[in-house]
Amino acid sequence: MADKKLTTEEILARARNQDASGDGGGAPESAAEETPAEGTAAAAEPVEAAPKPAAMPSSTADILAAARSQGKGGEAQKSAPAAKPGSTADILSAARAGDAGGRAAPKKPAAAKPTSTADILAAARASKAGGGGGEPARPAAAKALPKMSATVTPAEERPSVADMIKAAREGGPAGAGALPPKPKLPSKPPVPKGKNGEETSRRSFFSVAFGWVLVPFAVAWVALGAVATVWGLAAARFMMPNMIVEPPTKFKIGPPSDYPPGTVSTKWKAERGIWIVNTDQYNGKPMIYALASVCTHLGCTPNWLEGEQKFKCPCHGSGFYINGVNFEGPAPRPLERVGLKLAADGSLEVDKSVKFQEELGQWQDPASFVEVS
Amino acid sequence: MESHPDLTASVIRGLGWLYLIMAVMNLFWTINVFQSGKAYESIAGFKHIPKAAPWGLYTIVLFMIGIVHVVFDSSPADFQFLLPLGFKNLVDVIIANPISYFAVSMVIFVAMIWLRKWWTKPTVAWVLLNASMLFLGVSMTDYDFRQIVGKPDNVPIVGMLFLVGFFTWLYFYKSVENDRRIAAGEPKIEDEQSEQVLVWPDLVYTEMICMLLLTALLIAWGIALQAPLEEPASAVKTPNPSKAPWYFLGLQEMLVYYDPWMAGVVLPSVILVGLMAIPYIDFNTKGNGYYTFEERKFSIVTFLFGFLPLWIGMIVLGTFIRGPNWNMFGLYEYWDVHKLEVLNNVDLSQMFWVDWLGKPLPRPDANASTITQIRTILLREWLGFVLILAYLFILPPLMAVTVFRNFFVKMGFLRFMVLANLILLMAALPLKMALRWAFTLKYIISIPEWFFNI
Repeated sequence: MADKKLTTEEILARARNQDASGDGGGAPESAAEETPAEGTAAAAEPVEAAPKPAAMPSSTADILAAARSQGKGGEAQKSAPAAKPGSTADILSAARAGDAGGRAAPKKPAAAKPTSTADILAAARASKAGGGGGEPARPAAAKALPKMSATVTPAEERPSVADMIKAAREGGPAGAGALPPKPKLPSKPPVPKGKNGEETSRRSFFSVAFGWVLVPFAVAWVALGAVATVWGLAAARFMMPNMIVEPPTKFKIGPPSDYPPGTVSTKWKAERGIWIVNTDQYNGKPMIYALASVCTHLGCTPNWLEGEQKFKCPCHGSGFYINGVNFEGPAPRPLERVGLKLAADGSLEVDKSVKFQEELGQWQDPASFVEVS
Repeated sequence: MESHPDLTASVIRGLGWLYLIMAVMNLFWTINVFQSGKAYESIAGFKHIPKAAPWGLYTIVLFMIGIVHVVFDSSPADFQFLLPLGFKNLVDVIIANPISYFAVSMVIFVAMIWLRKWWTKPTVAWVLLNASMLFLGVSMTDYDFRQIVGKPDNVPIVGMLFLVGFFTWLYFYKSVENDRRIAAGEPKIEDEQSEQVLVWPDLVYTEMICMLLLTALLIAWGIALQAPLEEPASAVKTPNPSKAPWYFLGLQEMLVYYDPWMAGVVLPSVILVGLMAIPYIDFNTKGNGYYTFEERKFSIVTFLFGFLPLWIGMIVLGTFIRGPNWNMFGLYEYWDVHKLEVLNNVDLSQMFWVDWLGKPLPRPDANASTITQIRTILLREWLGFVLILAYLFILPPLMAVTVFRNFFVKMGFLRFMVLANLILLMAALPLKMALRWAFTLKYIISIPEWFFNI
């Protein structure tokens, strides 16, 4: 039956088909003639038209082969197995075929190409069910793709992908009667079997193959570019966070006379997170210093208890003397001081950007306190 | 009118319903006991008293108390079913002190294991359930108790305690029975229940019914108790007390005794890794697929010690007892922000140098070289390092040749060392607590310069 030159894929596909379809490729005609008797009368003609017994494509190679032969247009399709749609590629190729040569469809509305997943599944099931004998598979397969065998339009007029998809979607309903326009095309393929694929030229093959290879690359690069652009914009936006600007770390808190001896001022705690302490209980000398209101155990905000004269943390019970030294609970080290100095205008200036830790001997640093007389 | 009334009309009515529910529960229990037909031979001269009689009497009393609560409509101040003040004060004194709290929880733990054959009897268990419900109900007449137990956050914890109690009871009930059967050479309960059921429909139906009931319960709960939302968070205002989610309260309690690095990272990791290591260090092949206590004493006592006193016990402590400033408060005590507790504590190095040797604490000179500073710090903390290293490296071999001799022989060196260190790390928490209470010890090794404190 196959007296044309075959591409490797086609040879492979045939070999597989013969394996798969049990009764082999030796009796295609009889098989095709049997088909109507199988009960799917509507699908009869396309199947008859199919030069080869319909068998499921067993691999991607088959599908490609089918697609290619259709792409080459003309009689090439006749050599393609009347495959059931196994994948998107099938549907697309079917769409292509249908668009090009599917004018035959109206004549056999019931044999329209698959309009829905359910159809595809049904076809798949039917063909699987008959997989043992090969023949029962044919009607369903043929039903699924009648137009593949009816295509005559040259490949050069191939429509865009969008058109193809559209055609694939609308194919069913249109074929069901809504689209009567092209009755001129025969529902039977005019080209007898045996001549299929003879007009396949090397150039068209390579150009098609080239397209098949290039299109995914183009799609991938466009997608990559789009994603990178979005990411770049997002990163740029990230550089300008939607936040409240932090108050400056250096700020003035008024003259020392605002903080009488022996007191802890909590008026900056809520806003700036510091206590201003005026006491002589650290080393005997009266001094003012600013303590950060962060517990050195786990970072909660302690409270100043005036009656008990201590800072007490509500989380784990750490306690600190007025001088900031830890004495109860789990806090391992004294509260931290922040920078404090007497500014030129006579008011105290806090510098929260520096901190002074007692256990490192930093409380001796004159920048950590202001002596008062 | 008191601003914090111990009793209000709605509380009285609610308690009335609680007592009525208990009365109904006990009515069924009484019927059940009556049908069993058991009787006391002789009580105070009366012959053959059915065992259902005291239960019937108790049920009637509950009914009467419940009805009195429900129909009571004069001033709540006149209501007489109150908790005696003396009892409240006694409970407060015991609960609010960490030493007595943990002593009591350990006593309960030991009694639970020691008396397992007694308290797993259904009658005793029923008495215990009644006692706990009565305790809860009568305690509700106290304002402060109601505030803390009735808080929407804490209601699930109360439910959880009953669940923990039930499942612990269930385990001991089954294992006591199995242990008896094993000792008598009879087949175990599980052997007699070898009949298999199907996933569908038996299991799936059960699961579906559970799902429906739980959904209904959660909906009712969500409507009855509003979610305890608070004011918007603020970086400078920490609630007082500030509590972790209930399941982390054990960790929060550990943090009271340990540095965040230890209690927040090392010990939780050890807990997780240790639980994962159990299958590998467990050499006891018994107890597979059936309940037993006698055959797995060590494993079960160790696990329950870690789970009940050290985890559940600390969740209870953190939920109900820790109050403002993380001080401990009795169940019936007012949460006074200014409650004064003297919790001064000092590091071991401070004790060693200042208190025992009478020298000033060696302090690293900020201007000296790094090596000199490190040497000074290590000199300051040498005793702590010696103790910790001895605890982790000397004790396991000692255990291997003494109390854990059998274990060492059966497990081999590596597995035994893993086991010994896991046990020592688990024991580290109660030991550190005891040291804090007994010697006001803060840290054994205290190097704040390096954020390294143990």
